[in-house]
Amino acid sequence: MNSRGPLRRGARLLLALAGIAALLFVLSACDLGGVHPIFPDPVSPNGKNIYDTYVGISLMAIVVFVGVEAALLWVVIRYRRSVQPVGYVPPQVHGHTGLEIAWTIAPLVIVLAIAAYSFAELQKDFQPISNPQMTVIISGHQFGWDYQYENGVVVHQEGSLAAPVLPFVVPTHTLVKLQFRATDVIHSWWVPAVSGKTDAVPGYDNFSWLKIDQTGQWRGECAELCGAGHASMQIIVQAMDQPEFEAWMAKQKPAASPSASPSPSK
Amino acid sequence: MATTTLPRPKAYDDTFFKPISLWLTTTDHKLIGIMYMVTSLISFVIGGIFALIIRLQLSQPNLRIVDAETYNQLISAHGVTMIFFFVTIFVTGIANYMVPIMIGARDMAFPRVNLLGFWLIPVSIILYYCGFLTGGGLNAGWTGYAPLTEKAFQGHSLGVDFWAMSIIVWAISGIMASTNFLTTIVALRAPGMRFSRLPLFVWAQISTSILLLIVGAPLAAAMILVEFDRQLGTQFFTTAGRPVLYQHLFWFFGHPEVYVMILPAFGLISEIVPVFARKPIFGYMSMVAALFGIVFLSMTVWAHHMFTVGMNTYVEGFFMLMTMLIAVPTGIKFFNWIATMWWGSIDFTVPIKFVFGFLATFLIGGITGIYLASVPVDTQLHQSYFVVAHLHYVLFGGSVFAILAGIYYWFPKITGRLLNRRLGEWNFWTVFIGFNGTFLIMHTLGLEGMPRRIWTYSNEAWAATNMIITISSFLIAISILLFLINVIHSWTQGEIAGNDPWQGNTLEWATTSPPPPYNFERVPPVRSFMPVRDLREAGELPEPEPVPA
Repeated sequence: MNSRGPLRRGARLLLALAGIAALLFVLSACDLGGVHPIFPDPVSPNGKNIYDTYVGISLMAIVVFVGVEAALLWVVIRYRRSVQPVGYVPPQVHGHTGLEIAWTIAPLVIVLAIAAYSFAELQKDFQPISNPQMTVIISGHQFGWDYQYENGVVVHQEGSLAAPVLPFVVPTHTLVKLQFRATDVIHSWWVPAVSGKTDAVPGYDNFSWLKIDQTGQWRGECAELCGAGHASMQIIVQAMDQPEFEAWMAKQKPAASPSASPSPSK
Repeated sequence: MATTTLPRPKAYDDTFFKPISLWLTTTDHKLIGIMYMVTSLISFVIGGIFALIIRLQLSQPNLRIVDAETYNQLISAHGVTMIFFFVTIFVTGIANYMVPIMIGARDMAFPRVNLLGFWLIPVSIILYYCGFLTGGGLNAGWTGYAPLTEKAFQGHSLGVDFWAMSIIVWAISGIMASTNFLTTIVALRAPGMRFSRLPLFVWAQISTSILLLIVGAPLAAAMILVEFDRQLGTQFFTTAGRPVLYQHLFWFFGHPEVYVMILPAFGLISEIVPVFARKPIFGYMSMVAALFGIVFLSMTVWAHHMFTVGMNTYVEGFFMLMTMLIAVPTGIKFFNWIATMWWGSIDFTVPIKFVFGFLATFLIGGITGIYLASVPVDTQLHQSYFVVAHLHYVLFGGSVFAILAGIYYWFPKITGRLLNRRLGEWNFWTVFIGFNGTFLIMHTLGLEGMPRRIWTYSNEAWAATNMIITISSFLIAISILLFLINVIHSWTQGEIAGNDPWQGNTLEWATTSPPPPYNFERVPPVRSFMPVRDLREAGELPEPEPVPA
């Protein structure tokens, strides 16, 4: 009986799959074409904690992924009929209570660990904050964002695909409370380098916060389909040191009406 | 009237060409099943064409192949077509064909309700597309979030109204089908076919039907309220009302709907794996228990689609925990499938290749689901391309691969002819490579900040990834073309299959291919959950009498 041929075929298959995996890994590692399997470097503590949670889940996910895919690959290579002896009759096993309990408990332990870890992060960073050094009301509309500072200054970040939008400027080393509103439909404010997204829903205020300790600019977008101009609702967050921020603020004219922005909805 | 063998209607002998009048009026569950499946495959092609236009538009930054409004209608139509008119309809169709045969029944319990339920589907599909004749179809995504669907933001087009009506009709059809399946399985089982001997595909259909029966009505209710808002001036979901209430109602249907699409796929995999591994399914009872674990959990997780709307963190924690717990029953099924194949003697035909495609890719969809269930991580990933990648791993790598496995497995029974194996191999490898090429790197787009449902983008950093995705998506299209050529060619020209080409376990392999209108001359005795294998091993497998011409 010649079982070497099919086994070699299995080995070749394994090699090919390993090759594809290696290629993907190289692709992801060397940043080719902007492919990297992780968030942008976080600049706000809440974003940093989400980043760490992501990494923590990934450690377990990679173990599960590699383990199960390896088992599948082993089944493909070892238990194909062409590598089994002629006339092989598989053992007629109907189950094994111990094993079945084992692979009920194992995933349970893993997901409970992930849930507990995630819940701790949820309690830490997703509660309304009580000690902000500054509050900004972010109001979404079709199609743009208005940022209203405590002194009444409003930055109108009108959506555009052709040119960079006006930046939303915050001072560095400052805990900024973000208060979200919407005047027409649901929008969602998302700057991945800062933190997760928060929906701006008509009818009630939603909250998030940021605290950026470095100067720079970060891009974001509206993440909730809100009409034909959805893609144009770009976001730029700019962090400036306190003196530059003061100077920037001095140049902004106080808004005529400190209430909400005029809604352009039809 | 014949005394020994019932005469077979002439029109029935060739399942491909039959008089239109027979198709229009038949109450035979098999013909209705075929009509369901053909309808759904047509929807698959239409939804696929929408996807290709979407991918062309996104292949490079700042393209203007379609305008933003058209793009929004395309993504909505792609989602509605694939979810409501393809996957759900296909799994209903294949169950309609197979469930009565697998339990040894002659037809569904309510054949005329079955007929009506099927014909509501073309009505639903046509209603949906009628929206495009009114100046624009649904443009708010397949989820149709309020208040974007409200009159104030929709101009004069009636796309939303036609969508809502279409979904109401669809939900009624689904409720009819579910009632019919449950009654059939409870009341029409053959002697000896105890619940503990039901094929796992039938168990999957029980769990699916229970789900759709429970969640179909809330979906219709949500659509009726949308219509009240739009036509009667109520304020349920308007800017002045409670837009988030819509999301609760929609996802109370929407998340179980995912399981309506994947549980029959699980059932298919559970049928195919033991046949080709030549081993009984590992852990039959835990497989059934896992199905019902999923049914229960799937109705307690809907708000994980809403982690960014601003809920209490303890409520979010509850939904996170319940969502993650779904990994437990799903894991049981996964490990049982692997254990079934362990020490097996696997015949690597095309169906089992698709099963491996399913297992390898659905695993990725399951793992990314854990990321999305984690509330903090979800606030980053929600509504991004990571979600698009995840849901396609679950619905394409999961449901569609299982559907393809099921078609290669049961095509010989339905048509009497085998699908061409060489074309099948090409189909498998091209769709497997094309699928992973499309959706694996799509995860990274989401991590980098590309939201879903944007018409175009100005960020050059996303250009190369999007180009690779677009090219790969066309490989999927070529593969599906090969598949359709195979189906159409093999239906009339394929190799004759015989009654039992795979040496199957369940009752459908004891009758002719295709089965006669009454399914069985004599229902074989059922002594375990693998009745046909028992007969074969005892040397008692009756070769059904050749049908007189």
